Amino acid sequence: MKITITRRRLLGASAATAFTTALLPRLTLGAAPLSVGSLTPNTGGGGPFGPNIAAAHKLVAEMVNGKGGVLGREIALHQENSETNPETAIRAARKLVDVNKVIGVLGTWSSSVTLGIMPLCQEANVIQMCTSSSANIPLKDKKGLVFNFMILSPVWGEAIGDLALRRGYKTYAVMALNNDFTKSMVDSFVAKVKAGGAKVLTEPFYYNGGQASYRAEVSRLIESKPEAVFIPSYVTDFTSVYKEIFRQGYEGKVITVSIATGSKFKKVVGAAADGILHGLPVPSLGSPAYKDYLKLVGLKDTGAVQHPFGTAGHDQMSVLLLAIASAGTDDVGKVRAHIHKIANPPGKTVSNVLDGFAALEAGEDINFTGASSDVDFKTPTGVLKSRDFMMWEIKDGKDVVVETIASAS
Amino acid sequence: MLSYLISMATFVGFFMILALALNLQWGMTGMVNFGIAGFYALGAYTSDLLTVEAGWPFLFGVAAAAVLGLAFGVALSFLSMRLRDDFLAIVTLGFAELVRLFALNEDWLTRGPRGLPIDVRPLSGVFGRDGYAAFYLAIVAVVVLAAFLVNERIRRSPYGRVAKAIREDDVVAEVLGKNVLRFRVQVFGIGALFMAVAGALYAHYTQNISPDHFTPVVAIFIWMSVIAGGAGNNKGLLLGAGLVMMFLEGTRFLGEFIAFLDAEKASAVRIILIGVLLILVIRFRPQGLMPEEKFKGTGEPAPEARHGKFVMQGLNRQNSKKGG
Amino acid sequence: MLQVLFNGLINGAILAPAAIAFTLMFGILRFPNFAIGAYVTVGAFSILFFDQVAGWHIALATVAGMAVTALVVWACDLIVFRPLRAYPSVSLLVVSIALSLILENIIRFIAGNDVRGFDIPLSRPIKLPGLKFVPEQLYLLGLAAAAMVAIHVLLKYTSLGKAMRATADNFTLAEVRGIDTAKVIAATWLIGGALAGLAGLLAGLDLVIEPLVGWYLTIPVFAAAILGGIGSPFGAVAGAVLVGLAEEVTGLWFNPAYKVGVGFVIITILLLFRPQGLFGQPEIKK
Repeated sequence: MKITITRRRLLGASAATAFTTALLPRLTLGAAPLSVGSLTPNTGGGGPFGPNIAAAHKLVAEMVNGKGGVLGREIALHQENSETNPETAIRAARKLVDVNKVIGVLGTWSSSVTLGIMPLCQEANVIQMCTSSSANIPLKDKKGLVFNFMILSPVWGEAIGDLALRRGYKTYAVMALNNDFTKSMVDSFVAKVKAGGAKVLTEPFYYNGGQASYRAEVSRLIESKPEAVFIPSYVTDFTSVYKEIFRQGYEGKVITVSIATGSKFKKVVGAAADGILHGLPVPSLGSPAYKDYLKLVGLKDTGAVQHPFGTAGHDQMSVLLLAIASAGTDDVGKVRAHIHKIANPPGKTVSNVLDGFAALEAGEDINFTGASSDVDFKTPTGVLKSRDFMMWEIKDGKDVVVETIASAS
Repeated sequence: MLSYLISMATFVGFFMILALALNLQWGMTGMVNFGIAGFYALGAYTSDLLTVEAGWPFLFGVAAAAVLGLAFGVALSFLSMRLRDDFLAIVTLGFAELVRLFALNEDWLTRGPRGLPIDVRPLSGVFGRDGYAAFYLAIVAVVVLAAFLVNERIRRSPYGRVAKAIREDDVVAEVLGKNVLRFRVQVFGIGALFMAVAGALYAHYTQNISPDHFTPVVAIFIWMSVIAGGAGNNKGLLLGAGLVMMFLEGTRFLGEFIAFLDAEKASAVRIILIGVLLILVIRFRPQGLMPEEKFKGTGEPAPEARHGKFVMQGLNRQNSKKGG
Repeated sequence: MLQVLFNGLINGAILAPAAIAFTLMFGILRFPNFAIGAYVTVGAFSILFFDQVAGWHIALATVAGMAVTALVVWACDLIVFRPLRAYPSVSLLVVSIALSLILENIIRFIAGNDVRGFDIPLSRPIKLPGLKFVPEQLYLLGLAAAAMVAIHVLLKYTSLGKAMRATADNFTLAEVRGIDTAKVIAATWLIGGALAGLAGLLAGLDLVIEPLVGWYLTIPVFAAAILGGIGSPFGAVAGAVLVGLAEEVTGLWFNPAYKVGVGFVIITILLLFRPQGLFGQPEIKK
């Protein structure tokens, strides 16, 4: 059977589909649902992390809906894929903001995406919650609507530098993935170790992700034979880079960020991962929120770093919903003020959104402590306050804590 | 919903300008340009840096972008002298990647991966939020119209006939004294100019650009618009751009129906769907969305309809292929 | 210096099988197949399946994976490309891009975004004066060389190979002379798919296995094949080695971030002086 697609039929069909599916959700009955947007990197560079964030958003929303929603309204979660690409993410955010009329866009991960959608979110008075570490983010947030659940990378770099110095390494070489996240981290790491009397043997340099080989980069990194190398990057390229470092026979210490060395990395690299040092901002040791999160997503507590971004997703949704409940309205101006109220002390410490609702009902002030961090913001900004930092060493395929500090941002 | 549609229309507008520019380069002269993102980025960064850092007014920024686009377009077009189409595709892709790498690594100029914020907009503050969106759409529409008219003008002019001659037989055209190279350079340059202008408009619209915005994926979308729309007809191109955008964005709305899948799988399904739709359109509507326009006066298909200038070692394809 | 040459050679070895596949497909089917990267990804994941899920020895897993990839690639032709055989090559290029996205996302749907690797432990290098290498890299070189020899033997000495060469030279003439071009085309896809499967092994060993792994190889593979001259498998290998070397040398002398870009520049310069590539046929530009 020959199918003829006439121009009119094709355009008509496409338009009809688009409009019908756009209108459909509006035909549901009941009180107006509360629209929340979730924009996560499900493909592209952030691909390993986005789905965890999205799943966390969904689980918290479902949990709350199961108990009657917020302010008697059901939470309508609209999820989109940012593709770790600001060019497409902007259009996705447009849909969330203009069509779904969300109160907040949660879950952006790459700084270029968070910054890319900021102009339109600010213009439309929409809250943003992200895990991006560009120092530009607080600078561009003119309305105090952006809440960052990840520490800014200069702080991260300084903390890891501090921890590295404590391990006693005197000579370093530095190489990083070329993006916003790592650039400021490298600068502050280098400053910190130099201030501590150590030497950085080669000029820090950057490599692009997604290459067919990393041989030249690694050769350059280790040729001066430093005691330790610092390589902040993401798990996909770090895995290839680390394999090459190992194969080129480097015997010194490899230091990186914990998001690059999760369980999947360890599985790929096997015993060769032993000896890697990695650091991550963490919630207080053994936090009940983290344990709750693991239960919520069905993971076993292995003591290793799991879902560093999924935990943040859980906290984002919890904080937003608690703030709405506390404010008693979905007016963005009030909600944002209440985010500070419920996330910061003083108040009864709660680590679970349902416990938080119960406490609010009872008229108590709360201080939400999350699975990814204590979630205390430096009011009036959306920048996180003091953070604990931990450094682990991989021994026999497991993460063993070797250093801890409480850093002040 | 209206502001969403206006904003989508604006994005389609950028695609349309790029598709028309590409058709100028490929349809007129057969030069396969996969480096669209390179000119797009040049325009965006040029206008951005000049208006934000050097304080130039918006129009001058866009004009500078146009000039730079033209210059690089002309330079790149000289390569077509010696390179076959498929090779030109790779080389132009390399150009785009070089531009992107430059933007990524030379942060002293471009702020590298952090990206550049752009606060400068024409007549900002004059309209409210919705009014401004409509105003900007109008600006983009004007440029689309300009690109369309330039395209049509060239197609119908003596230049257009020269293009047909070149497409038919380079060597003969050359022998007859038509300056093939000069024509190619001019047309490619104009195409690049429009791509750069589109980039400048894009930058001022989204107000934040970084090297991530200018990956080879841009070239892929635009080529899809041109092929799906049918290179034989400029109006078809506009439809093609609209269709690609509709596929890209319309499939978002299907998310409500596949909510039972987790986010990763849902995203994968959406992209699979886009790929399948595109292949279906190309398969069942091979001439593109609009029929080839007859070349005035000769009753033959327009020069740019003869797409497929990948000439392989004297191969002569017949439509009546047997077997596979 | 020796190390740089060796590294370039390894880079080239990883690119070579895919470049051969690409150039064969281009020579016989007349269009640049952008999905080559996706085929490599399919290869890597297929071998991974046999290696980890079925628990087979890596050598057996590789053979099985190559077979699966060959079948998948051939199936793609039957479903996607065959109905479009008479279309201009630019349309086919665009279709191959769409196919690439589809394949990549089917894999993502099934296996997710996480990084994976074969069950092969990493090893420390053997150190000689001026040269470091790991045994695994010798396997890479050996396999790539074996692939090249196998294809060479196939094309030069077998009747299928001769038919393939005739078809690549002049399709219509080949048909007129009674060559079963349908069979040649099917063979091209199967062989190309198998080569892509092998490339999947090499990439998985050297880099990581994830849905985007083939995509990252696509542009260097294109460059290698075009540099070497379309339709010439030997050229593809030479091109792969040159591209591999260019990247190493750039990484060493210049900012490694521009590695990919410099590869393009070198290719452009070479093509300007020799438009048919190193080993391609010169042609009258028409």
